[in-house]
Amino acid sequence: MTENPTASLTLLSDLTPPSLERTWLTAPHPSLPIVATCSSDKTVRVYSLTNFRLLSTISGGHKRSVRTCAWKPHVQGESVLATGSFDATVGIWRRWDSYGRAEDGTDVRGLSSETLDGNGRDTQEYEDDEEWRFAVLLDGHDSEVKSVSWSPSGMLLATCSRDKSIWIWEDLDDGDNNFETVAVMQEHEGDVKCVAWHPVEECLASASYDNTIRLWREDIDDWGQVACIKGHTGTVWYLDWEGIGNVPSTAAVCEQGTSLSAEWKDQRAMSGPRLASCSDDRTVRIWKRRPKEQRAQSQVGSTGIPSIIRPTGTDETWEEDVLLPQIHELSIYAVAWSKRTGLLASVGADGRIVVYEELFLTSPARTPDTNTPTDTSAIIPRTHTEWVAIAILEGAHGIYEVNHVAWARRADRCRKENEEVLITTADDGSIKVWTLRR
Amino acid sequence: MASEMQNSNPTILNAADLPKRLRPAPSRKPGIFGNGLFASALPFVYASKLPPEGFTSSSESESDDDDLLEEPIDEQEIYDLVSTISDPEHPISLGALAVVSLPDISITPTLPYVPASPLRTVTVLITPTITHCSLATVIGLGVRVRLEQSLPPRFRVDVRIKEGTHSTADEVNKQLADKERVAAALENGTLMGVIAKMLETCQ
Repeated sequence: MTENPTASLTLLSDLTPPSLERTWLTAPHPSLPIVATCSSDKTVRVYSLTNFRLLSTISGGHKRSVRTCAWKPHVQGESVLATGSFDATVGIWRRWDSYGRAEDGTDVRGLSSETLDGNGRDTQEYEDDEEWRFAVLLDGHDSEVKSVSWSPSGMLLATCSRDKSIWIWEDLDDGDNNFETVAVMQEHEGDVKCVAWHPVEECLASASYDNTIRLWREDIDDWGQVACIKGHTGTVWYLDWEGIGNVPSTAAVCEQGTSLSAEWKDQRAMSGPRLASCSDDRTVRIWKRRPKEQRAQSQVGSTGIPSIIRPTGTDETWEEDVLLPQIHELSIYAVAWSKRTGLLASVGADGRIVVYEELFLTSPARTPDTNTPTDTSAIIPRTHTEWVAIAILEGAHGIYEVNHVAWARRADRCRKENEEVLITTADDGSIKVWTLRR
Repeated sequence: MASEMQNSNPTILNAADLPKRLRPAPSRKPGIFGNGLFASALPFVYASKLPPEGFTSSSESESDDDDLLEEPIDEQEIYDLVSTISDPEHPISLGALAVVSLPDISITPTLPYVPASPLRTVTVLITPTITHCSLATVIGLGVRVRLEQSLPPRFRVDVRIKEGTHSTADEVNKQLADKERVAAALENGTLMGVIAKMLETCQ
């Protein structure tokens, strides 16, 4: 291993009390300092990131393990959570935003430590549970739901299952909790393990037991597959998109940094954000779309008339951008690509947490920097980057497998401006919050 | 269950020919780890005081002094745990049907590059009685469930079809290795009913 870690992960806190059974995933709220953790005990626990304590437990909605959950973005004054379960259903839950707000750790709802002692099964928690309103159950999948994801606008909800299908539902937002089925896509040849929406566009990525990643867009009225990425040699477990406007670290090349960043942004504007994936084949890969411009040109060259059926030429070509340093020895279950820092983290069956950073490379050939916009500039990237593993933590949850990782804004008293924490979720039910020290 | 038997006349080994520990130690009886919930809490110190066994072909030389104290589980122990499982078709044990056999069981460090790691991978290769047996997945799941319920959590269970013994081995192996699918299967009442029946004969 050529990696030379330059940063370290330090445990900030556990989220307590933990589930006594396997936990699958922890979803940070888009604006509030709270997270939701899905458990095999059929419940979802909501924890505070300010004091790391349990706020409430959502139970009674699912008959089997809750495998996944996602917060609906852009909801005012209310939190909306979608949950997906092995019982083949998707639940939608609502709660007014009157809690979890107390930034200093004192809880606005008077949740004393007394409430949280023991098993958290006393009357006060019961009242808390009352405030999570079960809104609707989305029924359609034939078997276990594995992943749910809200579109960037919050209008669409994508769900996927072992039944090999992906469903897209539209939240009608009619005050009556009505959802309409917009599309059912069945091209995958195996369980669909993960769905993830593009950060700004209505483009969905899916990962599967059939070892492929597929991309989906709406064309006029029909949702269809626009790309099928084959590259992994095992089940693709998880996906995460690059943030809009992400730029690799220029620390290593400070003099050229500004021009490199500008050039990078120009290139990215054409290809859009990249997609990270992790797999049973023990690799993390990053995929990028071949810039749109080239395709547009070739189309004009061929006929000059845009196709009637697919006016925008919906088929996209995605290619491997990079294979990340191979640090994991077993299945990699999740990746998290920070939208704030551009750092990427991965976790898996070997119990390791790995954090990677993308750095610009200094290439002597390009020091004169003749910035002539030629045709080749779109094809051959002039900005070279390298991914390095900056932190590796062995046995993050002891002997247990780590199922999920997520970045969240740090919210406890000791936080610095815009600091992030890493949240990992494991087989023994534990959820840990980490800080990264550079 | 299938209405017709897939293999109505299997070869059965004589019970006396099955591999056994020559000098059974009281603390190593199969079943001492049988209670899944408390298995990890059981102390293993008694077994470690016994002289090392020389007759099992342990692929791993337990040279690490500290590890030795916590390494009483060997291939024979694993065999004892899974050989008593019943075939879903016949009231005969997997050991007697030679679906599982001692040479096809191995225990290796899960993370060989991390010497300090206590993780161990138990690999059990299954030989289905006939090459197209559709119950191979159920048998594999039964073995996996049995081991996961019996072994301490630092053990990773890897159950696979022995190479060349089954027509759809890759497919079955991928299913058995998929943690999410196995977890979901354990919540499937019908399937667990079949597995529970297979495990009834285990002590």
